[in-house]
Amino acid sequence: MTIRHNPKFMVLSIDGVPIGLLRQLMGEGVMPNMAALAGQVGTRQMRSVQPTVSCVAWAGYMTGKNPGKHGIYGFIDRREGGYDLKFPNSLTMATENIWELLSQANKRVFGMNVPGSFPPRQVNGILIGGFLSPSLEKAAWPAGESNYLKSIDYRLDSDAQLARRDKQAMLGDLDITLARRMEAMFHYMDTEDWDFFHTHIMGSDRINHFLLQKFEQEDPEFAPAFRAYYRKIDEAVGKMLDRLPDDTPLLIFSDHGFCPIKQEVQLSRYLVEKGWTVPAESVRHPLSIDPAKSRAYCLIPGRGYVNLKGREPGGIVPPEEYQQVRQQLSRDLLDMRDPNTNEKVIRKVLMREEIYWPSGCRGIQKMEPLEVARQEGTFGKAADVIAIPYDGYDLKLGLAGKTLFQKTELEGMHTYNDAFMIARGVELPKDDLEISMLARPILEKLGVEPPTDMDGIGEAITPDV
Amino acid sequence: MDRLDELESQSVYIIREAYYHYKKLAMLWSVGKDSTTMLWLCRKAFFGEIPFPLLHIDTSYKFPEMYKFRDEYSKKWGLKLLITRNEEALAKGMTCEKKLECCTALKTEGLKQAIAKYGFEALLLGIRRDEHGIRAKERYFSPRDEQFKWNYQDQPPELWDQYKNQAEEKTHIRVHPLLHWTEKDIWYYIKRENIPITDLYLAKDGKRYRSIGCVPCCSPIESNASTVDEIIEELESTTTSERAGRAQDKEDTYTMQKLRALGYM
Repeated sequence: MTIRHNPKFMVLSIDGVPIGLLRQLMGEGVMPNMAALAGQVGTRQMRSVQPTVSCVAWAGYMTGKNPGKHGIYGFIDRREGGYDLKFPNSLTMATENIWELLSQANKRVFGMNVPGSFPPRQVNGILIGGFLSPSLEKAAWPAGESNYLKSIDYRLDSDAQLARRDKQAMLGDLDITLARRMEAMFHYMDTEDWDFFHTHIMGSDRINHFLLQKFEQEDPEFAPAFRAYYRKIDEAVGKMLDRLPDDTPLLIFSDHGFCPIKQEVQLSRYLVEKGWTVPAESVRHPLSIDPAKSRAYCLIPGRGYVNLKGREPGGIVPPEEYQQVRQQLSRDLLDMRDPNTNEKVIRKVLMREEIYWPSGCRGIQKMEPLEVARQEGTFGKAADVIAIPYDGYDLKLGLAGKTLFQKTELEGMHTYNDAFMIARGVELPKDDLEISMLARPILEKLGVEPPTDMDGIGEAITPDV
Repeated sequence: MDRLDELESQSVYIIREAYYHYKKLAMLWSVGKDSTTMLWLCRKAFFGEIPFPLLHIDTSYKFPEMYKFRDEYSKKWGLKLLITRNEEALAKGMTCEKKLECCTALKTEGLKQAIAKYGFEALLLGIRRDEHGIRAKERYFSPRDEQFKWNYQDQPPELWDQYKNQAEEKTHIRVHPLLHWTEKDIWYYIKRENIPITDLYLAKDGKRYRSIGCVPCCSPIESNASTVDEIIEELESTTTSERAGRAQDKEDTYTMQKLRALGYM
C-alpha cells in the first residue's frame, strides 16, 4: 500500500503573471482550475519591489525584509573596491531565508527553482536553485539530489538564446522545462510529509518577455501557443489541487506583473549624453567608466550611483555635493522623453532612503543627505537614486550603445503593482499587500515565531510607489 | 606516525596499487601545488624513478612561470613528460574570452585526445575532497565513461583499502591519491618535505595566487604571505574558499551570458 504524503503548507509561484492577464485567461476558460480556486477564495492584487526584477522580488519574499537589509538590489552589482561587476546570489544575501528559519524550528522544507536561492543554503530538507544556477550538481542541496533530477532530464531553465533565434523551438523548450519541473514537484511531494513545500515556475516570465505583444495582438501563430502554455500551467495546478487535501494552506502567486514594451531605454547612454558618465576607452562591461570624469553612472534597471569621493574607489563628487548631484540627476532623468511620442519615460525618481531602510523595523527613516551618503553595510550598497519608468519603457544599460531608444525581439517588461495572489487558508494582511509581506504569515501559520527584525508589519512596510 | 606520515603512506599505497593494476597509467601534472605534491609522492613511491609518464594538458594560456617550472623540474627529475595541446581548437582561435567553451575545448577535449592517442587505462589526478562540495562524493578509484561522465549512483564503498579497480570497456579510471588531503595538509607537507613550487603562490606587492591554472581564469588574492610558513598561518585563519578566485569567474561568465540572453543587459 502506498503511503500518501501531504505538505503542511504549499506554495506554487508563477513568475511574472500580471493579475489582468490571469483574469483574462481564467475568463476565457484557458485556466479553469485557477478560476475554480479563485472562485472559492478570491484573487488579490499584490505589489512587487523596486527595482522590479525577479531576484529582488524573491529576496524580499524569502527573507521578509526590504533590500536595505537583505542587500539584493538587482541581478548585477558593483564589486567592492573597483568599477567592476559582480553577480549577487544567495551568498550575498545578508540574512536568513524562509527555508533556513523553518529549518531552525525543525521543520522539513522543500524549495525548487525560486530565483535567488542559488547556491542553495544548507536546510533541513531539499533546496534546488533557480535559473542562474550554473549546473544541476551545484544547484541542489543536498548535492545527491542532482542524481534524481538528472535521471528525469530536469532543466534548471529554458534556453533564452533559443527564444531569440526560434520562437517555436522556445515553446517546445518551455513545455519540456515545465513538464520536468512538475514531474519533480509531484515526485518530491510523494517522498515525505513536508512542512513547507515551494515550487516555482519560471517559464511564464520567459513567454511573457518574448511573446506578450503577439498574444495581445492575437497573432495567429503565437497567441494560441501562448494560451496553450498557460493551459499547461493550469493543468499542473489542477493536478496539484486534486492531490492536496482541501484544507492544506496554499499560496499561488506571481512576483511582479508584465506589460508590453514600447521602447527599451539605454539609460547608461542617456547619462553619457547628459555628461554624467564618461565611458572608459574600452567598454568591456556596464561599469567600464572613466571614474576621473564620471560624476554618476547606472546599473540595471534604473539604479543611479553618485561617484562619491571617499566611497567609490575613484570617486570625484565631494560628499557635500551628494544631495545636489542626486537632485540634478533626478531632474535629468525625469526630463527624458520618448522621441516618437514625446511621452515622459521616467515616472518617478526615488532617493535610496525613500524606499529602503538599513535596520530595525521602523520603516523608512528621515536621514540627512550626508548620513545617507555615508551608510555602509547592505543599505550602503543601494543605488543613490532609483528611476521608476512608466509602464512600457524598459530600462537597460547600453554604455556603448548606439541608440538611446530601441526595440528588440523582447516584447514584455516587468511591472510593479499588478502581481497576483490567490491564498487559501492563510491569513494575509487585509489591505495593502507587498511580496515581502508573505514570509511573516507563512511562518506564523507553521507556528514559527518570525524574527524580530522581519519587516512586513506596522511601519516596516515599503511605501507604495 | 604523525598525520602527514599517515597521509603520505595512504597516498603511496594508492599510487602503487594503481601502478600494479594498470599497464597504461599516467599522471596528470598541471604544475600546481597539488599535482606537484602528488609528483613528489610518486617519486617517493618508486624511489626517485617514476615508471609511468606524466601528462601535461597545455592550454597555452598557463602562467609563464608554470611553463618554466615544468620544464626545469621535468629535466631535473628525469620525468617522462608528455605534453598535449588541442591544436585544432587553438588553430580555430579558441581563446579564453569564452571561458566555458575554452575550458571544454582545451582541457576536456585536450585530455580526451591524449587518452585516445596514448590509450591510457588510468590516470592519477591530484584532486582533494575539500576543494569543492561536488568532490566530496569522489572515490579513490573512480571510473569515467567515454564522455568523461561520472556516475554518482555507481559509487562503490572503499573499505579496508579494497578498491574497485576494474572498469567496463570504453572507460578509464581516475585515481585520486590526494583525495583525503586538505589544502592545509598540502602546505604543511610542502613545508616538511621542502617541495619546490612556483613563486606564483608567494605574495608579491600584497597579492598572491591561492590556486593557479590559466592566466585569464585566475585572480590573485590579497595577501602578504610570502613564505610557506606565512601561507600556513594565513590558511589557519581564513574562511574563504580556495577556488573562489577561479570557479566564481566561470560562474560569473555563465551568469552574464544568461542575463544577456534574457535581455537584462
